[in-house]
Amino acid sequence: MDILNQFGINPILLAAQVVNFLILLFILKKFLYGPILKLLNERKKRIEDSLKNAEEIERKLLLTEEEKEKILAKTALEAQKLMDETKKEIEIMKEEGKAQAEQLASQIIKKGEETARAEMERSRQELMSHMAEIVGLGIERVTGKAFRGKGQKEVIEKEVKNLS
Amino acid sequence: MEHGIVLKPEVLGYFKNLPITNTLLVSWVAMIILTITSILATLKLKAVPSKLQNFWEMIIEFAYQTVEDLAGSKRAKVFFPIVMTFFLFIITANWMGLLPGFGTITFNHKPLLRSINSDLNMTLSLALISATLTHIFAIKYLGFANYLKRWFSLTLFPVFIFVGFLEIISEITKIVSLSFRLFGNIFAGEVVLSTVSSIFAFVIPLPFYFLEIIVGFVQAAVFMMLTLVFMVILSEKHSSEH
Repeated sequence: MDILNQFGINPILLAAQVVNFLILLFILKKFLYGPILKLLNERKKRIEDSLKNAEEIERKLLLTEEEKEKILAKTALEAQKLMDETKKEIEIMKEEGKAQAEQLASQIIKKGEETARAEMERSRQELMSHMAEIVGLGIERVTGKAFRGKGQKEVIEKEVKNLS
Repeated sequence: MEHGIVLKPEVLGYFKNLPITNTLLVSWVAMIILTITSILATLKLKAVPSKLQNFWEMIIEFAYQTVEDLAGSKRAKVFFPIVMTFFLFIITANWMGLLPGFGTITFNHKPLLRSINSDLNMTLSLALISATLTHIFAIKYLGFANYLKRWFSLTLFPVFIFVGFLEIISEITKIVSLSFRLFGNIFAGEVVLSTVSSIFAFVIPLPFYFLEIIVGFVQAAVFMMLTLVFMVILSEKHSSEH
């Protein structure tokens, strides 16, 4: 093969270069591709995990937000209910108070009336006894006789009663 | 111009039967550079990457994504180290060849350093590795019987026999095209650079250097992608028998 000779092809050189290449292949595989590809894969996995985590967190946040809204709505509803109830109770209490007050007032009035009536009775009695005395004195003056003793007062009082 | 451009790499000396050529020497240097940078980068791997680790991570992540898109995640694990090593070795070799000192420093009146891929030995060996591994993977993923079916059709219809024959030739062509594409591009680049530099050594070679930087990257990428595509195609179930 003249052409191969012209280009300086030498089987030993070819073999040497093949060996060189295989050595280089081995070295690079061991020290370059292996570690770096492993690192790249690990990094990829880590990023994927982080993204997944972020998604999870976002989902949870959304859920929490919803829960919060729900709880708030529920609380507002309960508060409204409580307020309504309180209002109703106050209304009832007002009514009751009014009724009680009215009752109390009427009681007081009645009592007052009674007291007044008793007072009147007492004053009348007193007046009567006074009158009897006065009448007795008058009779004494007119008749000049003492109209005394037990029977005297009774008679006068009877008379006065008849008068009235 | 005295230092003529020769196709053969210069032999600097012999180690027993092994001729130490300047390209072989440079390929050892390239290997050492790659080894040191990768060990430095991964010695203390951190979750938050620092400069060198970040640099490698960026490259490897992008390349792995590309391989995965083409080959699927299962085969990508196997294919990736091989095609990536092709890429890294070739691009390091190409860009190293642009450094000052290449071709100018001499040892026993021979250039001590020479761009690796301007030696057909180097590119041909890379192409041979690429082709061999491609076929090994094809057998691994398809099984030996299915692998043979691709080349030797069981139907006696002559067209299929002829197609199988063509496929075999195309496999040989792949090796030739892979090796000569890389060799041709880099060797031509070397020739252009040394010619331009010998005309006027200041400023004028700059655009050519810039061009060579791009060519160095493109050739590495092309070699990597072609190897990857060949591997993917050959290790895929043949769809003509549906």
